[in-house]
Amino acid sequence: MVKGVVDWLDERLDLSDLKHFIAEKGVPIHTQEVWYYLGGMTMFLFGVQVFTGILLLLYYRPSSAEAYESVQFIVTQVKFGWLIRNVHSWSANLLIALAFAHFFSVFFLKSYRKPRELTWLTGILLLFLMLGFGFSGYLLPWNELSFFATKVGTGSAGAVPVVGHFMLRLLRSGDDVTGATLSRFYGLHVAILPAITTALVAGHLLLVQRQGMSVPPGIERAQKAGKLGPLAQMKFFPNYILRDVLAWYVVLAIVAALAAFYPWELGTKADPFAVVPPGIRPEWYFLAVFYTLKLIPSHIMGFEGEQLGVVAFGIVAIVLVLVPFLDRRASRGERSPVFTVLAALGLVYLIVFTIIGHYAK
Amino acid sequence: MSQIARRCLPLIAAMALFAPSQATAQPAQAANTCLTCHSTLADTRLATPAKLFSGTDVHRERGFACADCHGGDPAAAEKARAHDAAKGYKGAPRGQAQITACARCHSDADLMRRYAPKQRVDQATEYATSVHGKQLAAGHTNVATCASCHGPHGIRLVSDAKSPVFPTNVAATCAACHADPRHMAEYKLADGTPLPTTQFADYKKSVHYAALTKGNDLSAPTCNDCHGNHGATPPGVGAVSNVCGTCHAVFATKFQSSVHAQIFDKGCVECHSNHAVLKPSDAMLGSTGHAVCATCHSGADDKGAVAADTMHGQFEQLEAGIRRSGALIGRVKNAGIEVSDQELALREASTKLTLARTEMHGFVPASVTPIIADGAKIVESVDAAGEKGAAELRFRRRGLAISLGAILLLVVALGLKVRQIDRRSHS
Amino acid sequence: MNEDPIPTRAAAAFDRRRFLDALLAVGFVSTAVAIAYPVSQFLIPPASGEPATASASAGKAAALKPNSAHIFKFGGRPGIVVRTTDGDVRAFSAVCTHLDCTVQYKPDTTQLWCACHNGTYDLGGNVVSGPPPRALETFVVNLRGEPGDEEIVVSRA
Repeated sequence: MVKGVVDWLDERLDLSDLKHFIAEKGVPIHTQEVWYYLGGMTMFLFGVQVFTGILLLLYYRPSSAEAYESVQFIVTQVKFGWLIRNVHSWSANLLIALAFAHFFSVFFLKSYRKPRELTWLTGILLLFLMLGFGFSGYLLPWNELSFFATKVGTGSAGAVPVVGHFMLRLLRSGDDVTGATLSRFYGLHVAILPAITTALVAGHLLLVQRQGMSVPPGIERAQKAGKLGPLAQMKFFPNYILRDVLAWYVVLAIVAALAAFYPWELGTKADPFAVVPPGIRPEWYFLAVFYTLKLIPSHIMGFEGEQLGVVAFGIVAIVLVLVPFLDRRASRGERSPVFTVLAALGLVYLIVFTIIGHYAK
Repeated sequence: MSQIARRCLPLIAAMALFAPSQATAQPAQAANTCLTCHSTLADTRLATPAKLFSGTDVHRERGFACADCHGGDPAAAEKARAHDAAKGYKGAPRGQAQITACARCHSDADLMRRYAPKQRVDQATEYATSVHGKQLAAGHTNVATCASCHGPHGIRLVSDAKSPVFPTNVAATCAACHADPRHMAEYKLADGTPLPTTQFADYKKSVHYAALTKGNDLSAPTCNDCHGNHGATPPGVGAVSNVCGTCHAVFATKFQSSVHAQIFDKGCVECHSNHAVLKPSDAMLGSTGHAVCATCHSGADDKGAVAADTMHGQFEQLEAGIRRSGALIGRVKNAGIEVSDQELALREASTKLTLARTEMHGFVPASVTPIIADGAKIVESVDAAGEKGAAELRFRRRGLAISLGAILLLVVALGLKVRQIDRRSHS
Repeated sequence: MNEDPIPTRAAAAFDRRRFLDALLAVGFVSTAVAIAYPVSQFLIPPASGEPATASASAGKAAALKPNSAHIFKFGGRPGIVVRTTDGDVRAFSAVCTHLDCTVQYKPDTTQLWCACHNGTYDLGGNVVSGPPPRALETFVVNLRGEPGDEEIVVSRA
């Protein structure tokens, strides 16, 4: 039946290029090939988010008077609403975890080196966008935790020098976190960020398909030195695709398990005039940055501590974007231990500070 | 007629026209040299009345002037003539003279109808029945008279928030004398003990005071609501529950039919105190510790103690049940089960508890039991619904676990397929 | 008889492949159904319509006779809808402003009454007598639906 449909389309659209591409496309087989699947898994979860997000859109109401009640309605009244909501919440967390895993694997394996600089660029922007999705989406249930976490998070934006206050007002749609903030975050979460992400994902995928999978530099060097022969290739279709689908089902299983054994709670409705609950913190993927900012003393050499912290993180972000252009040695195919060490330090820092931030008072 | 007489004639005529009439108390008009003179005096005791009267004063605003109460000649320019006793000048009336001065108008129904038709005209008569009035008649001049509470000058309507007899100000006005030990030293109770001066301090601890000042509930009682306005006297034996019952009708009815109504002459005050009426709690009920009942009742063979303990136990049980049920419902709600009907039902259970606490004032456990039983039934049904909700949550979890199993099965099958395809590609 | 082993092995391999393919097909279809079924159920609008924050249904207009009332649910708290002797429909919060007991309607006095401490309200929600410190919250009433079969819809003022 599938062949029938393909033939019908081929008669009209001439799919010979596509067929040739699929038939010929191969994926190199080597010791590090397991990392290849992370990108696809991330994309699969993004698809799950779009799907469950659209379903939630049918019932959710983005106003401070009704947001909490509409989520309650979805979870208690709509059939399987609890399932869709739980999947959306857990898959969001898993998506960011996988995005970071994908990012770090690319960082360590130096896949960003020439000729894949653009892929890295689109990828790092996608990572920031995923964090933006997480931050904007977290506010939407309008419960106590998310309200105050947003207050703290957007407050940090105000620490940016010069444009900080403007940025804060832009984010919060005003000076405080109010229903206006909710509307703005909603627009960001369901329209602006998805539009940009779709374009970037399309670009990212196109680049990957066009350029094929990057082979780790160590293996390339071994090949050049003659210690290793040409790598065996597995066919993209059906061998690699089937493995990809396998990985996606594994991810789906993890999401289902989390939704079953750790259902997401409703919390209490946000009260802007309530006292900030003690120990309020953002979601785990912002914990490291949040806790670092908390640790910085209030004044360092005449500068405001928080400002310096935010600027430092800004510089780190810019450096990350520019990594392919900064790591000349990797682009030339040489060993680049500096960047490997930097990646390792970054990973250790994130893990350690996330854990400390979680257990700190 | 002489030149002088001719010139003075218009003046005399004017004086005749404007002289205050003793018989029908018409408001004086135009000339009021009292104010012009007194407001310039250095002695504040003499100047303050003029200033106050020139400000917000209900009498002045209706056209009355100094001479209408004090007598004298308002047109006279110099003191002797203005203060002429022949013109009715009586100085500052005090004691019984003050009552008479105010009552001249305020007990005149025909007159008062022209200014405030609904206002009562029996204040002076009432006053005569009050403790203040009786003491005054016995010659004690240190008691409150009209001006002590209403002020002599700058009198405001009772409905004016700045009036000393506006509901929120009444207690402080009474306390000006009644909370002053030196002022009250000469007065004794019937048994010879000195009159207490702690009433205001006690009242400020009460729920009535809180309702009045913080709750903005002007219907909450202050001194005059229980003691009377002008006929102020503490409610006597047998009258207390009637007085409390003017607002707390249900409790009064139950209490009147109870065994305690025969025993307590202080009625409600016996357990709830008269001025320091605090928020009641279940802890007041019981036969041990700080419970109020324990003052008289204790021991297993005391019927009252048994009744108190029984009812206390019933209240505790229902309250604990409601709390526990509420927690269960809350947990289940947070996890995503619809429980608004149960929340409503728990409100009904709380209503039953409130009704039971009211019924308790008949002091018969048998009449409290059915109400508590109703409440307990509601709690039971809410618990059942809560359990169903928890079961639904477990069912969801199991459903998801099953689909998880299905997915894992598929993952294994896919793994096998991948191996199979690889082998085919290789061969 | 000399049997050629290869066809058996090939046949076995072929059967295994067919079995695995069948298993996969069943797996894919069942997971697809496990996803499609909840999603399709999700799309069906629930009976209660929408979250009862701003408005709620208080039953059918025809079921409310003159000089009677009934309690309905509004955002987790009880409300009371009354049809006066003139046929006018009014709705109030049924939570007594004294100590939160649920009020009821008394047809003999055409007043709202709280059994707990004898608080009485008139049909404007105002306190007539007793301990309640404030009036009952008044709601806006509208009728919605086919004439003769209208539903009473109560919303916050």
